[in-house]
Amino acid sequence: MPVDQPRPAHNPLEESHIDEVALSTVLRTVPLGAAVLAGSAVALVVLGYLAIYLFVFLPRGIVG
Amino acid sequence: MTDQPRETHERWVLGTELTWAFGVGVLVAATISIIVFTALTLNINPPSNVERIDPKTLHLSGEFSEQNLGTLVAADGTVTARIIATQFAFVPHCIALPRGRPVTLRLASPDVIHGILITGTNVNTMVVPGYVAQVHTEFTKSGELLMPCHEYCGLGHSEMWATVQVLSAAEFKPDSDGRVSCARR
Repeated sequence: MPVDQPRPAHNPLEESHIDEVALSTVLRTVPLGAAVLAGSAVALVVLGYLAIYLFVFLPRGIVG
Repeated sequence: MTDQPRETHERWVLGTELTWAFGVGVLVAATISIIVFTALTLNINPPSNVERIDPKTLHLSGEFSEQNLGTLVAADGTVTARIIATQFAFVPHCIALPRGRPVTLRLASPDVIHGILITGTNVNTMVVPGYVAQVHTEFTKSGELLMPCHEYCGLGHSEMWATVQVLSAAEFKPDSDGRVSCARR
């Protein structure tokens, strides 16, 4: 058998069987992960804002 | 995907987006509430004063003539410091102010735009020629604080700074005219 014969392109989509139920499960889980990630990031920003407000801005005294 | 699960899924995604939008709305409302609460209860506001003055003549007569510059304690006990910000110095160079008493800083510029901040405090304002910049504050700690110009005003900008000497009640002694100068240390 010749070694350098070109082989047909491998297309995983042709071979894989997409299960509708599994796809539905994944589509439910992915947005939840995005929500958790975005929620954590926003929570960190809000905590940083509150920390600077309480421990830096207010002790610097009144101004107006 | 059949129509039924897709419809259920889209409804779930819409619910997620509405929940997120509600959360963002709550955060924005909380931030605005904190700003309003601070302004109403602690009297912390952005300095705002619209008061015109002629920059060409402010040193000749009136409030910002030389004899009126510096700290003055009025008969009713109010403390006002008048300062000229000019290229490239503050006049006077040292400002004596009391600790634990409300004070008013009034600044004017005869030339270009300057800006001031007092380190370790929330005092921070622009000094625009043609207007009187005014800041009310109260110092909580004694000591010498740096007051640099924070708006680029020319080649000597980096040399433009003054000292604010915050004095205790025992050290803050007005003379017979109500004027207070920096203590020698």
